[in-house]
Amino acid sequence: MKQPVWDLAVRLTHWLQAALIAFCWWSAEYNHLVWHIWGGCAVLTLLIFRLLWGFVGSSTARFSSFVRGPAAVLAYLRGKWRGIGHTPLGALSVLALLGAVAVEVGLGLIAEDEDGIYTGPLYQLVSIDTSDRAAGLHEAWFNVILVLVGIHIAAIIFYRLRGKSLVKPMITGRASLEPGTQPMRPGRWWVALICLAIGIGVTRWIIAGAPPFGHWTPPS
Amino acid sequence: MRIAFVSLTACTALLSACGGPQTSQANNSSANISNDSRDANQATANLEARVSLGDATKIMHARHEGMETIGKDFKALHREFDSPTPNLALVRTAAGQISGLSRQASGWFPAGTGTEIGKTGARPEIWLPQNATDFSSKLRNFQIAAAAFNATTTRGDLNAMKARYADLAGTCKACHDKYRMDMHH
Repeated sequence: MKQPVWDLAVRLTHWLQAALIAFCWWSAEYNHLVWHIWGGCAVLTLLIFRLLWGFVGSSTARFSSFVRGPAAVLAYLRGKWRGIGHTPLGALSVLALLGAVAVEVGLGLIAEDEDGIYTGPLYQLVSIDTSDRAAGLHEAWFNVILVLVGIHIAAIIFYRLRGKSLVKPMITGRASLEPGTQPMRPGRWWVALICLAIGIGVTRWIIAGAPPFGHWTPPS
Repeated sequence: MRIAFVSLTACTALLSACGGPQTSQANNSSANISNDSRDANQATANLEARVSLGDATKIMHARHEGMETIGKDFKALHREFDSPTPNLALVRTAAGQISGLSRQASGWFPAGTGTEIGKTGARPEIWLPQNATDFSSKLRNFQIAAAAFNATTTRGDLNAMKARYADLAGTCKACHDKYRMDMHH
């Protein structure tokens, strides 16, 4: 019998984030910078939501449930780990991806394009030189995300070859658990809504240029 | 009238910048085009002029520096227009500089100043015969928009300045999307 392992919030965030990051790459590559900027703002909203849900969400969404020390990672590699959700090794991948996307968004917020036409909403908080450097790093850092996504997908293929599908539970939210393992404790829907509202609120404040510290006119 | 003025100064700037470009055979062959429109095309892009290798390097350098200066001015302007208290003196200086450089830009794209000579963001498509009219008109739109923006900055109407600035940005983008490639320096 299949039991719940990922809640709807985690799954939606995961797939939306994957789609948005692909969209952001595409829109930047093909000079649709207005779409790129709004795509980045959407990534930011989801990122804030996911971080908050990592503290107050369902059991498998919480950082406290999956972030483990090196000892747990070694134990997992020796096959001595039982549980649901992110494995101690997979948790490192999750943190690296979230961290890398956060760095990418942060750089984008203060960046400006080489023509001075398009800017991130917080560009006013830094100098022209810093914005220019942020733009260069923003472009270069995407390669770090690509490498992490590559590792992520390689791991999925590795587990698939060993007979375990990771994609299906991330779609359906359910998996067959070994007897005796605790299934996911769900979060509360209204807490999820509050997290989302905070994510949208903070993003809107940033889109305004983080007043009173700055002002941003959205591109048209 | 303004266009004629821009064309005239562009011709002058071009002549002084490149030490007098040789008029190409291609110009003579387009005899059925009226003198006026031919002059206008020549003034705005001068795509057909051939230049020596030494001149090409000089022009490409001037082009790169000029574009970079325009970019810096644009970044400064963007900050001023998003600021609650724009520094209008700075806006006027930047607008004047962009307008002046836009006129010089007429001499920045003679044939033989592309990737075959050295590192540049200028796409080879600029010099394809079928793009000559399009490129020239995009460059002319830029020059007209730069002059129009510069004119508004001498008056105090901030909204008008912002509107002309947005128009000007549109003319940069229209050309860059099609005729510029990524150049990492």
